[in-house]
This record gives sequence, C-alpha cells and structure tokens, in this order.
Amino acid sequence: MTNESFGPNKGMFDAAVFANKQIGQRFYRLGLEFSADAAAAFAKASPGQFAELDLSGIALPPVEGIAEDLRDVSERKILLRRPFSFCDVSSHRGKTKVEILYCALGPATLRMTALSAGKSVSVIGPLGNGFRMPAGKKMVLLVSGGMGAGPLIHLAKTLTADCPDVEAIAFAGAKTKTELPFEKPTDEISQQLGFSLHEFARFGVESVLATDDGSIGYQGLITDCFSKWLGQRSLLARDAIIYSCGPEKMLARMAKIAEDKKIDCQISMERMMACGFGVCQSCAVKCKVNGSGETLYKLCCKDGPVFDTREVIFSA
Amino acid sequence: MSELIDVSVEFSRLKLANPVFTASGTCGYADELADFTNVNQLGGFITKSITAKLRQGNDTPRVVETDSGMLNAIGLANIGLDAFIQEKLPIIAKLTVPVFVNVAGETIDDYVAVVQRLATEQAIAGFELNISCPNVAKGGLSFGTDPAQVTEITSAVKQAAGEKVLMVKLSPCVTDISVIARAAVEAGADALSLINTFTAMVIDIETRKPVLANKTGGLSGPVIKPIAVYLVNKVYNEVTKERGIPILGLGGIRTASDAVEFIIAGATAVAVGTANFVEPNCTTKIIEGLKRYCTSHNITNIKELIGSLG
Repeated sequence: MTNESFGPNKGMFDAAVFANKQIGQRFYRLGLEFSADAAAAFAKASPGQFAELDLSGIALPPVEGIAEDLRDVSERKILLRRPFSFCDVSSHRGKTKVEILYCALGPATLRMTALSAGKSVSVIGPLGNGFRMPAGKKMVLLVSGGMGAGPLIHLAKTLTADCPDVEAIAFAGAKTKTELPFEKPTDEISQQLGFSLHEFARFGVESVLATDDGSIGYQGLITDCFSKWLGQRSLLARDAIIYSCGPEKMLARMAKIAEDKKIDCQISMERMMACGFGVCQSCAVKCKVNGSGETLYKLCCKDGPVFDTREVIFSA
Repeated sequence: MSELIDVSVEFSRLKLANPVFTASGTCGYADELADFTNVNQLGGFITKSITAKLRQGNDTPRVVETDSGMLNAIGLANIGLDAFIQEKLPIIAKLTVPVFVNVAGETIDDYVAVVQRLATEQAIAGFELNISCPNVAKGGLSFGTDPAQVTEITSAVKQAAGEKVLMVKLSPCVTDISVIARAAVEAGADALSLINTFTAMVIDIETRKPVLANKTGGLSGPVIKPIAVYLVNKVYNEVTKERGIPILGLGGIRTASDAVEFIIAGATAVAVGTANFVEPNCTTKIIEGLKRYCTSHNITNIKELIGSLG
C-alpha cells in the first residue's frame, strides 16, 4: 500500500499536544496534532489501529493530584513506549488530529495526564491492522467494556462516513457508572435502556449501557445485556456484524455469543508489548490454524490487534 | 569535521564501516525496521535466533517492564530454518551491511544443522552462537554455563561454519565468565559477544505469582549496563586481548556515551538491543554520536579507543 507520493504509511514522529482533557474520575482524552509526513500517515489511520507513545521523559503531576492508591505505583520509572488506539482521527489543511481515550492508572498514564497543550510527544504509528469494514452488512453492533469504547467511537465515525446505509448501535459496559469512559456525566442521561451517549449519538448511533452494580443502565455484564438484546430481535445473522473491544474475559464471552448466533465478530485485543512493530515477539495471541487442530501464535501488534473471534484461543 | 574521523573497525576477518550492530531479537530479520531506519548504515546486523525447526515460543505474558529495564521470555519464537531461507534470506541478500545469523538449538546437532545449511550462503557474513538464552527448557543457557559443553559445541559449529566468522554469545549468569570465554576462544570462536540477559523475576503482588508465564525472564536495558561494561573489561583483560579476538559488547546501550564506555572497556564493536524498541532509529544517533565524541577528544581513528581504559 506504500504510495510514495503521499508519504510513508507509518514512522516515528513528533506530535504536538493540543488538548488533554479530564472527562471522568480517571479518564482523559489526549489530543495530538501531526504535520507534514506524519499528518499524511495518520490521516490514513483506521479504527482499531494504534500508536506507541514515549512517555518516559514526562514528569509526574504533583503528588496531591495523584490518587492515594496510585502513589506507590506512580513512582516506578518507565522505559518502554505505551500502545494506545484512537477514538478520533480528523484531517484538515495538511494537519491531522488524533485523539486518544485513556485511563490514568499506572506510571506511564499518570505522567500522560501532565502533558499540556503545546508539549511535544514522540509517537510511532499508525501500527497494526484496524477493523475491516462491514461489506454487505445491514446492522453493526459495537460492544465495548470499559476503556474498550475508544476505538469503537472512532469506528462509529468511520462507519457513518463510509457506510451511511448501515444501521449501528453501541453497547457500553463497565463495573460501575464512574468507570464508563464518556464525557457527559452519565447521571444526566435518561435512565431508559436506549441511551444517547454524545460520543456515539453525534454519528447517529444509539447506545445501550450496562454496569455490573446497576448504577446505570442494565444491571449485569455488558455481554449478558447484549445477549438479551439479541434474543429479543429477529436479526438475520448474515446481515449483522459485531465489533468489540474490552477485557479478554469479555471478548471470550463475545466470541461465544457470536458463535452461537453465527454472527461475524471482530475484536480488538491487548497484550503487553515492548515494541509494537513486530520485532520483540512479546505480544503473542494464540490462534487456531484453519481447518486443523493445531495452534499458532500471531502477534497482537502486527497481525492484530483486530482479530476474527473464530481464530482466537482465549487465555482468560 | 566528523567526516574525517575513521570509525571503521576490523572485526575478525570483517572490515566494518562502523562499530555499531543491532542485537539479536530486537530487530527481527531487518525488514521490520525498514520504516524507521536504514540498516545498511550499521556496522553489522544480527538476526533473531534461528532454530532448525519453527518454534512457537512461550505463553504470554512474555514481557514485563521494570525500573530502567525489562524482562523477556519469548522462548526463541522463530520461523525455523526452511522458512528463513525461503522468506528472509532474499531480503537479507539485498542488504549491504554484514549480517550475522543468530543460531540456537536444543542439541549440538541442531546448531550444526542450521550452520551447515547456511555456511555457503553469500548473504551471510557470520554466525552468532546463542548458548545463553535463559528462556527455554532445553539447550540455550545450559550449553553456556559449562566450559566442557562450550568447548564441544563451539568446535562442532566451527567446523560447520567454514569461512564464516563464528561469534559466541555469552551469558552473565556464570561464576566466572572468563572461564567460559576461554573455552569458546580455544575451541575456535573468532569473536565473542557479551552479555546476554540476566535471569530475573517480577512478582505480581496481588496474585502473588510471577508476572511472566515462563515465571522467569531475561533482564535487559539500561539497568544492566554497568555490569556488562565490567564483564566486557574482565573478558578483554583475561582472555581476548592477548589473543587478538574481538568482543561485541552489549547490555543496556542507549546512547553514544554508553557505546564509548564499552569500547574503552575493550569491545571492538557494540550492539544495541532493548533501546531499539523505544527508538528504532537510535543506532543512527549512536553512530553520529561516536563521531562527535572522537572529534571532541581529538581521536582520528576509533580503534585508538578500544581497550583504552586507564
């Protein structure tokens, strides 16, 4: 796909921070702006792709700004880059803006909260393979757990632009309502099952929420909520496709639901990775070899992070 | 000014444009780095380990970060000799940089089989014998900790390697690294590379279990650099200096100053490993930095620096 006239498909670039907004207890949206070759490379970034950020040179925020339960872990020095998917990508006049939804819970992401507008960050990307678009599908189901909402917000935007005839609905779950990574305080949203999360509603996508403790939406797992919703619909399996991102346990349940209902399901997975571009071999995902009982390891960074649920052997 | 500095070095029978390599397992088979750096400007390139048969590697997690370092337990995951020859050798053949193939195995026959098959390939300058991988159940480190086994495997592979340069990679996890170094050199090693990673563990205090699926992993990164510098200097003084055998020094190199330390300690060349994960073009920066160091210290030929510890 390399097209020299449009610059490289990926690389190591400096990005300028244009925003870093706290949107919840521990959730933030970081905005990065790219110019020149980097702008061209990131303009092509598809939902589900990711970038590796070097956060090692950033000082921690003042200790009083760090939650007590995170102070101990925050003191650890960091060496490796951290991978993040995108919740929005937009290009305008030769610049590309990329937004990253993140949760501050470790030494790297706590440092990330200290990035202010105008600061520069080293970014490698865009990396990996994103979600494949739903050719011939009429109904798209976006199912996320916690932070997994990020790349699905990006996907909702791309779907609206590229496949306007497709109907989409978003399902978002978390342990409790404060762990839903959305900007609008969820208690301001209607308590009906059909929610309107701004992040999805702006692309005409309705939302369904679930929390383990029932503090908002369906009480229980998002996968149970989704399963129940599917059961109430007469949906032709071949017309639908599921896109999902979240903890591995949740993705394993999604795989089961998709298998039972014979619906195509693509998931974005996560692994600890040292490089992100295929050399360290750390981020192995155990997969089935087509048509045999054998297994092989694929790399989350290079072969994924998006996989078809039919090929993955889940570790959780 | 820096263009007048001679940074070339003689590494056994090879003349290298500069003394900077990429370390095995941190740069794949060269094609993966093409988006970030030009590997042809390196002094040398070392491939990911190759074994006779494809290896799937260990379960995950395979990697965990620690302060100023990381642990890995990949388990020598690689595509195997046949796929290497079909898929990767044609890519390597196009490179102008001298390429070393890192070879691993479970038995001496495994190592010999790989080396014999590749010994006639024009595209390959030499072999790096991995007898120091801490993350596999059989072979690996067990070869590298017993001097008698080091002698046996080195002489067997030396025969198979023909005219290619044979470099033996040493583990720091031994009582006296000079004993192992001497065994390798006396059995025919043309060069030594040191050090491989330290066996180490990180514990998850919530689950009270090791973080890595393999339980232990190899510690690399800036945290091991001062130990690596010490061991390079020890082997240089006790084994290689009098025999004229070059050392490839590695362990935590991230900057040109790090590389200079290793060269002063006795390394003829250096390899960059973990730092490639964070900054895949850092070798370029290090080569430029070496020239700058020489310029500012009135050194016209970098060879003057080798083993110059006062």
